[in-house]
Amino acid sequence: MGNIFDFLVVNPMTNTMLLLYGLFNNYVVALVLLTVIIRLLTLPLNLKQMVSSIKMAALQPQMKALQEKYKNDPQTLSAEMRKLGFNPLAGCLPTLIQFPILIGLYNAIMRTMAVNPFSLLELGKHVYSFLPGLSSLVPINSQFLVWDLGQPDPFFVTPILVVATTYFSTKVTMMPTTDPQMKQTNQMMSWMMPVMFGFFMLSAPVGLGIYWVVSNLIGIGQYYLMKPRLELARAQHAAPTAAPTATPAAAPAPKAPPPKSKVKPKTTVRISKPSAESGKK
Amino acid sequence: MALAFTLTACAGEPPPAAFPGMSVSGQYAYLANNFHLTKWDLNTGAEVWKFPATQDNNPPIGPFSGTPLKFGDWIIIGGSAGLNGGYDPHVYAVSDATGAEVWRFTGTREFVDGVVTDGKLIYAPSGDGALYALDPSNREANGEPRIVWKFQTGNRLWSRPLLADGRLYQASFDHSLYAIDAASGRQIWRFDEPAAPIAMQPAMRDGVLYFASFDGFAYAINASDGSLKWKSAVDAWVWTDPTIGRDLLYMGDVRGKVYAFDLQTGARVWYFEALDSIKAQPVLANDLLYIVSMDTFVYALDPSGVARDGSGRIDRNSIKWRNETLGRRLMTTPVIYGGDLLVPPLDGEVRIWTLNAKTGERGSRMPAAQATATTP
Repeated sequence: MGNIFDFLVVNPMTNTMLLLYGLFNNYVVALVLLTVIIRLLTLPLNLKQMVSSIKMAALQPQMKALQEKYKNDPQTLSAEMRKLGFNPLAGCLPTLIQFPILIGLYNAIMRTMAVNPFSLLELGKHVYSFLPGLSSLVPINSQFLVWDLGQPDPFFVTPILVVATTYFSTKVTMMPTTDPQMKQTNQMMSWMMPVMFGFFMLSAPVGLGIYWVVSNLIGIGQYYLMKPRLELARAQHAAPTAAPTATPAAAPAPKAPPPKSKVKPKTTVRISKPSAESGKK
Repeated sequence: MALAFTLTACAGEPPPAAFPGMSVSGQYAYLANNFHLTKWDLNTGAEVWKFPATQDNNPPIGPFSGTPLKFGDWIIIGGSAGLNGGYDPHVYAVSDATGAEVWRFTGTREFVDGVVTDGKLIYAPSGDGALYALDPSNREANGEPRIVWKFQTGNRLWSRPLLADGRLYQASFDHSLYAIDAASGRQIWRFDEPAAPIAMQPAMRDGVLYFASFDGFAYAINASDGSLKWKSAVDAWVWTDPTIGRDLLYMGDVRGKVYAFDLQTGARVWYFEALDSIKAQPVLANDLLYIVSMDTFVYALDPSGVARDGSGRIDRNSIKWRNETLGRRLMTTPVIYGGDLLVPPLDGEVRIWTLNAKTGERGSRMPAAQATATTP
């Protein structure tokens, strides 16, 4: 399993990182470029996940009503939820797909920095022999300004930047909610995550911190770039909420089908073409 | 991202950061592995001492790697590189009798592969790219040995130099092999043809030095002037010290191949394929070639009677025996002791296994099973 993951994810990233380092002769530039490339590749998944979160947030009142109504009938509840368009996997699947990519990137960074003999040996096992010259690039020049990228930051600049950017990234990308419980969880997360990562960065190499800061900044930038689309998605999902909220309550019988025209799962899928959708409206 | 880290952590135990080393003197084995240098009595299987005795040292001591060196009444070992970029920049002298620290030398970076000596000076290669000649008989007020000379190269030194005929042959990550006068620290010549780092102690016979680089070549050069005798292709990075046999040169690569080259021409005579990296030097004894691999197996080949296919790969029948029972990655050069092969695994409860060198049958272990069971 580890070998397959290496073969499909970590090795390509490791070798791309070395190639970029060879091209620019600067590890930070290589790291930033690879992070940008990965972030661009995962952009559709990000977008999908955000839209899905918006949809789920919009469906919250209806789902609550259904949960109350069918609290003793879980089967009907789940059937009704499905009819609403609730899909628990829709939100997490894109996130789950991104995890191996992020883990791969983390491994690729740790390998290419090769801060100890064992990580250098691991790098040696995975350098593509069909790309001549990559081996001559190791060990990478780990000096960047006053930092050694392979060492923990003695000036604590990287941990502070990681805390700050993680905080803003979490704040900015967090979906607004009216649910007080969710609000509380969100608030806790917005502090917990930065503190946790900052603490980790106290003993982690500077190079990893730079990746983190860049990744957070790109995430924030991506959010603002996607904001118009997300606002549109929010507006689109806000519209159908009124009717379906009433549907279960107004339905004469629990198993009565809701009006099909109001809840179409496809509306979420088509959110990637905002102009066409808004034009129809 | 939090989940990413959790998943990474759950994927397996954290990898060790450096390669353990072992040496044997008399009935005692000295093992440098991770955060301890340990002395074992090979006759009783008992641990004699452990350095440091406790782990509550400030600043922390260790990790250790490389081959411990017996120097009179002392055992000399280098502090090594740890996870996440940490390192211990000291060379320690430890009392052979008690395991107590006698002195330490403070460098700027790690000493990954240990040190060598001519009986008077100690030559310590450092991750800062310098080879230090230390005189332990001439110490500073704080007890540190004085630096007699320092030879600076362009990148990390992660392998011990070979000391022969008053010269030190030092491989460097700056893609060069240096010949240095051991008395003065003056450079005699520099061989800089390799296109990648060199991370091994070269071997020498009849005035020819043998080594390999991460550039995919094994080299033979004349020790007198550093001129090239031959070079021969390998398939991956070679990070084992080479072993010289009667007519053949043996070395292993990080993808699991062990090569046998003709000493005179450099022609690849055969190769053997293990399932994972070969880091430990192959050991030639009892007419057998012993190979340990990260695949957890110990192999014994008869190098004189190998059968090979068209590509040069040796036939499985050429393996005299194979022990698959240790279950731990093996990266330390084994040592022959009596009729046994001493094999230290990289991690786990057992620090040293003994295998019957003729049959490969597993013998005793250190610490003994009972002692392990009662250890809290």
